[in-house]
Amino acid sequence: MSSLDDTGLVQDLGGKLLTGIHIVLRSMRLYPVENEQVQQAIDDLQKQMITFLKGEGAFELHIAGDFFFLNETRLRLDLSNFSTFGNLASVLTSHEIGEISVLPGVQREEWAPFAALLLRDPAEDPFSEFVDGLSKTPGEHIDVRPLAEASEPELIERDSLEEAKGTYAQSVKVARDVLTGMRLGKAVNARKVKRAVQGIVDQVLDNESSMVTMTTLRGFDEYTFTHSVNVSIFSVVIGQRLGLTKLQLYELGLGALLHDIGKMRVDTEIINKAGGLTEEEWTALKHHPTEGLLLLFEMRGFAEIPYRQMLMAYEHHMKIDLSGYPQNERVREISLFSRIVAVADGFDAGTSVRSYQYEPWPPDEVLKEMRDNPRRGFDQLIVTALITATGVYPVGTLVILDTGELGVVSKTNPEVEHIHQPLVKVISDARGRPLETPVTVDLALGEHSVVRTTDAQKYGIRVSDYLI
Amino acid sequence: MTDNPADISEQPPDEAPTEASDEAPTEAPDEAPTEAPDEAPTEAQDWSEGDDLPVAQARELFVVLGKALRAFQLYDENNPVRRRFVTNLRETFEKLWQEVEGLNLAVEEDRLLLGGRAVYENPSRSDSLAFLLYKDGVRDVTFLPGFEGPELDKVLGVLQRARMLKTAEADDLLTMLWEEDLEFFKCQYVAQFTEGAVVPTAQAVEERANLAQVIQGEAEAAQAEEDKAGTAKNGHPPPKIGQDFSPKSYALEPEEMAELKRALAAEMSRDVRHDVLSALFDRLEDPERSDRKSEILKIIRELLPGLLSRGAIESVANILEELAAVRAEPGILDEVHQMECDILLDDLSSTETLEELVRALQDGTVDVPVEVLGRFLGHLRVGALPVLLGAAEQEELPGLKDTLRGAVHGIAKQNPEAVLALLGNVNPVVISGAVRLIGRMGMAEAAAELAGLMLHQDADVRLALVETAELLREDLTTETLVGALSDAERDVRLAAARALASLGHEKAVPVLKEMVTGKEIRQLDLTEKIAIFESYGALGGAEAATVLSGLLNKKTFFGQREPSEIRASAARALGKAGFPGAEEALSAAQGDEDAVVRTAVRQAIEGFLQRAEPGVKPEVDSGVEPGVEAGVESAVEPELEQGLEEVTE
Repeated sequence: MSSLDDTGLVQDLGGKLLTGIHIVLRSMRLYPVENEQVQQAIDDLQKQMITFLKGEGAFELHIAGDFFFLNETRLRLDLSNFSTFGNLASVLTSHEIGEISVLPGVQREEWAPFAALLLRDPAEDPFSEFVDGLSKTPGEHIDVRPLAEASEPELIERDSLEEAKGTYAQSVKVARDVLTGMRLGKAVNARKVKRAVQGIVDQVLDNESSMVTMTTLRGFDEYTFTHSVNVSIFSVVIGQRLGLTKLQLYELGLGALLHDIGKMRVDTEIINKAGGLTEEEWTALKHHPTEGLLLLFEMRGFAEIPYRQMLMAYEHHMKIDLSGYPQNERVREISLFSRIVAVADGFDAGTSVRSYQYEPWPPDEVLKEMRDNPRRGFDQLIVTALITATGVYPVGTLVILDTGELGVVSKTNPEVEHIHQPLVKVISDARGRPLETPVTVDLALGEHSVVRTTDAQKYGIRVSDYLI
Repeated sequence: MTDNPADISEQPPDEAPTEASDEAPTEAPDEAPTEAPDEAPTEAQDWSEGDDLPVAQARELFVVLGKALRAFQLYDENNPVRRRFVTNLRETFEKLWQEVEGLNLAVEEDRLLLGGRAVYENPSRSDSLAFLLYKDGVRDVTFLPGFEGPELDKVLGVLQRARMLKTAEADDLLTMLWEEDLEFFKCQYVAQFTEGAVVPTAQAVEERANLAQVIQGEAEAAQAEEDKAGTAKNGHPPPKIGQDFSPKSYALEPEEMAELKRALAAEMSRDVRHDVLSALFDRLEDPERSDRKSEILKIIRELLPGLLSRGAIESVANILEELAAVRAEPGILDEVHQMECDILLDDLSSTETLEELVRALQDGTVDVPVEVLGRFLGHLRVGALPVLLGAAEQEELPGLKDTLRGAVHGIAKQNPEAVLALLGNVNPVVISGAVRLIGRMGMAEAAAELAGLMLHQDADVRLALVETAELLREDLTTETLVGALSDAERDVRLAAARALASLGHEKAVPVLKEMVTGKEIRQLDLTEKIAIFESYGALGGAEAATVLSGLLNKKTFFGQREPSEIRASAARALGKAGFPGAEEALSAAQGDEDAVVRTAVRQAIEGFLQRAEPGVKPEVDSGVEPGVEAGVESAVEPELEQGLEEVTE
């Protein structure tokens, strides 16, 4: 049990220690152990470890799924560390190591041999070989346990996907209730909204990929409601990458959930119209950011006026160069949260069949367009942050592999070097015959690759059926 | 419960705490946390052999927790009683952790259970910890070692706030606990608001779309694309997706990450309210959508009192300036909207709104630079006059007083009739302020109304009237000021005497003569005596000089002179009068045996000589400028006062 009063310290020190281990491995990959860079890296790691052990008394690093737990505190992933963590996780799991423990008294001389073992190619029986090698190294303060035996921290007990489904269902219902209520002029239960967004934040923090999987659902409910929830999910995912705190993620998620609330004042015929909109109809639709701003003043129950959320509703179509809508007379700098919501909105909208958009694009092409076409007006850094979360081929992308098989991307690869090599659930053979039991392949292993992506909705395929 | 969300649709109705959540907690009775009533369950439970659950200790824990919670309710953070109870609670947890590695409890409506046994029980919903948890959906709580640290205070605070929440608010126990981001206190709860929530399920396999069409369709599409694009210049086929992938395109550089971190820091410190207001004004200027303008004005109108109450005066000033600019721009706001703006400003100028602000300014709750305050006050309308006038009258800080006065003057200029109406206000401070304002504004038409105030029961009103007397017409003034000479308030009498002299109302001479030669004047203090004598001297002409000379030098039949103060006052008056004979009378008294008289004579002669010019009536310096505010002290020289004290000793 962590004894440091401030969990933030465990997060911070823990992150630094993992980075320290990663740097030792990286430098030993490049240089001989006597090299100054390697020695410096080892020095730094040892210093940080001593500090940590003084405060905590023990160092127990445990991998569970995509996450690291340090003395039962889950270490948060953000843009500054997700690649490092991914690399380290990859190295450890290649040796089937599930846990590393370091005891007080660890000596500097123990690190190089340990790192060298990690850098060795895994043997046939990776864990046994590793332990055998470790026993021959000097020192007894570093120990490992295998993946199977490493115990789950008590706090993680549940099936993430089922949890995500429940959270998603509840959130969509809340979105429906709130948005419909606003359209009818009814009082809104702000508590529901708050609980729903907190649930989304919790779920993203616990297991981001399960929540992102939910965004692949199509036709689950009216587009307006699912879209609001999806934008909230993607916004929180991006926010997590940026290192936002839990409360900041809540603020962001809340604004994202309500970003299109202004549409409740636009004629439903326009909102639901199949086919293109006339100029007049477009003009009416383009009022929805302003209407959202005004509507949010009517939302009672919050302790403070939700100014930040109002800005997200108002600014999310402005574009980074302010060439979007609505136009401004006074000086304005679009808020970061608005830019995040804009990206999340753009991505979900681009991959959805909306009433006024016949053919959505495949997710990877949407990302490419958002990143490469400046006229779309998205913040490029935030688009990149989204891509680090979704991968080049986001979850739900329908892909054709080099084997001719059809697959659905089921999980992104956290390592930036393999960001284009996700996990893919193969759903049919090369002739299109569905597999009775879909098989998941990891493209990072290099045995398969994506040759083509396509839009599932074009063929009436519900990719979520293969994911949930 | 949320840990198994698939249960949402299968939740038995009585698990959804609809009844519980309708029940608002009532406030606990106000009593000191003495030994808590026995809330332990009736069954005798001890930590028996073979039983590894610390039931007895858990019961003790909740007794102590109940006391700590009550202390939280009754006392503030620094109160030693509260601190003691919280420390007890901490120690109880620490002791418990020596026995177990965590405490997991089931939550029922009126009790908490450890391993199926009640460790806390309280059927009273109004102060039951169990019900407080239960009603918001909590069904299981876990305390972990470490909880006794900062999280203990956080949770106690949340529990206390949760008791006070109203059902309409966005927060409940769970949302507040969530915000605390606790590591050592966990809840499991039934998901509320889920009625009608449909958990997504996958479509049956046989109902799914044909996958073969995808293979076929994409093969055809790929072929078509290749045919269209042809091969590349060097004869190689076009690259396939993924082959040109560069990880660098998808990674953020350290400086880019740093930029995002900076953007986040800027985001959290930006003035979001200002940005929203800026948006509102942008939209207010839109040429179309008149209905929206009314809505925006309504929003602004509703925002302003809240901003004022928080002391955000600068924000309010900015809003009013923006509004004024929009109003001044032709074609933006029509008549209806202009009226709505007027209503907004009238609301802001109301007594209720401003009284609170003035109170906050006076007691220091709101601290705002005077120039900012001035910017705000400058937009107020006539409804603000009474409050601002009263505040200006009572304010002692010069800067603030001037700012308030400036605002008052600005409003009054636009609304002179409203100033007159203030003369009938119930608050005498306001009336005094209005009188003085009339004086500063030179509103001669107010003379009749002002005269009527001479009989006002409040002395400050009468004093203000005397000070403003210059504006009054000759006949009314004399009558008013002469009447004021016998006012019950000293300051009023003093101001009246000086005003009469300053304004040269010779019609007052008979009254003044009567006063100086009468017996009643001997009861007044020296300052007042001098003021009356000087006024007589300034107005009375040669006759006054004779009377004053007599008072200074003549002896009675029995050889006695007038009292020292009377003679000194007469000397001062002779010095001011300057008529022939005055100098001679003064010279005769130069060697007077009475020190006070001598001093007064000397001062009078010095003053006289300074002004000596044949045929010129000397200026009377009574120390009061026409129209000057009340509060000017008498011109008694310290030397004269000291001399008088020596004589009386």
